[in-house]
Amino acid sequence: MSEDNETYYELYGEYISLKELGITVTISTILALIFYSIAPYIASSVGLPPAGLMITFGAIGASVGFAVGIFVAKVKRVVKEV
Amino acid sequence: MDPFSVLLILILSALSTLLYIFIGILPGTDETATMAPILLTLLLAGVDPLLALVWFIASIAAFKMADSIPVALAGIPGGVMAVPQVPDALTAKESGLADTILRKGIASSVVGQFVALVTTLTISYYLMPLGDWLRATDEILPNVKVARWFWILLAGLLILAVTSKNKWLALLSIPSFALGIQGLRAVYGRPVYISFFLGITIGPMMFELLSMLHKELKKNYERRGLKEVRLAKISKIPLNPLKILSKEEAAQSTIWSAVTSVLATVMSPVGLTILIGDLIRESKKDKIRGSVLAYTVRDSIKNATYIGGTLIPLLVIGQPTGPMAAGPAMPFFQNLESLGMSARDYIVKNYDYVTIALSVLVASAIAFLVAYPILVKYSRKITLAVFRRVPAEALYGLFIAIVIMLSYYDARLAGVFGTLVISLVSGALWKLGVSLGVLFMTLVAAPTLVAILTGLPI
Repeated sequence: MSEDNETYYELYGEYISLKELGITVTISTILALIFYSIAPYIASSVGLPPAGLMITFGAIGASVGFAVGIFVAKVKRVVKEV
Repeated sequence: MDPFSVLLILILSALSTLLYIFIGILPGTDETATMAPILLTLLLAGVDPLLALVWFIASIAAFKMADSIPVALAGIPGGVMAVPQVPDALTAKESGLADTILRKGIASSVVGQFVALVTTLTISYYLMPLGDWLRATDEILPNVKVARWFWILLAGLLILAVTSKNKWLALLSIPSFALGIQGLRAVYGRPVYISFFLGITIGPMMFELLSMLHKELKKNYERRGLKEVRLAKISKIPLNPLKILSKEEAAQSTIWSAVTSVLATVMSPVGLTILIGDLIRESKKDKIRGSVLAYTVRDSIKNATYIGGTLIPLLVIGQPTGPMAAGPAMPFFQNLESLGMSARDYIVKNYDYVTIALSVLVASAIAFLVAYPILVKYSRKITLAVFRRVPAEALYGLFIAIVIMLSYYDARLAGVFGTLVISLVSGALWKLGVSLGVLFMTLVAAPTLVAILTGLPI
């Protein structure tokens, strides 16, 4: 039995908190767009095509946001080994 | 091929495998959202398209092998393609067969990948001379030229539509959705694919999420307390995959992998996985034996449809004719400014068939040599760590951020709102029983469909 009695919402089989989802989406999106925006400056300094680096950096930014999200949001699963 | 290129093939295959083992085990990861952006990133960054293909083939091997791990252990799909396996996995788990289906799934993944590679590479070799004929156009209406491969796509699209839960809406949605797509492209002033694909992919999620903002509708999604996940214990799994499958399982996996790898040229991989698996399960009187067999064969079909759905359009037709080619593999068919052509055209023009075939075979071999022992030894530990440490919100946040970023890349702020429209319409159609495969294929067929629609004299 879980001890947490808060109300969550089921999305794709997972229980989520809308507030925490809003925070993680905001953090990941802002970081993705920041990294995306600075990529052309880095690309021109190393002589690489900007388009590829923009998406790469954007994906890295989103991944950094994911890593931050792991600490910001709580896991809402109780794992029972059977 | 020079030794440095061979070394790059080995390194990229191994790296792709390690990344997609992790992504595959993460619950709910979608193939289009995780494979297409990374592939596009590699191509835009200037990676040789053949090496990008190697990366992609290795990712299929690892992803499809890993995404059924959480299904077998906890009944939670690790990707969209693993969703059809959930009912079989739950039946097997209740009978204490979690580790049986885990090992059988991993072994049959290997079968599916290699049978599909041999089948599609052989068929593609003999069909390649047809490629130019398929790409030729015929003027069917005044000023309306239609490529011959379009009729293959249309046939697959109509089959998918009539096999949707709501076939009449699916059929009606084809011209309507196509008009909406072309309308947005006209607003953007450029052909857009990736952000629209991702919009369709996250459509169901966005629809449900935005439903939760509605006072009355949100009550349907409310849950109290934490979600209980029951993770099955497993015993030691032998490293030799040949000892794991029974003769029937090996035979059915082989046959259906060969058949579905070709059908996936135009048909939906998820649809084929559901259809064939259900047929196999119902063919057995014993419910548990039926579920174990269906689960096992579905695992081989997952790999086979992804391989066939990528390689036949890539090598023979040169256009994305099915949901797989039009989804995760779409970046191969887009024109790249740096090359002056698509990655697909570059591969076919610069590499002979034997080099391409050997590269994809080696990529698969490396992927399985890396993935198989890791999954056999550590799958339960990895799954436990993921379920205990990775919140769903962090994962969904990552997906949505990638979709927003790629939408911005396609058409800046207008692109973000355009993708929102696409996702809401897709989600609503999905909720009303239209298969997402219909929408993916309509996206590819849209320019020709709208040209025909507007060229008709009525």
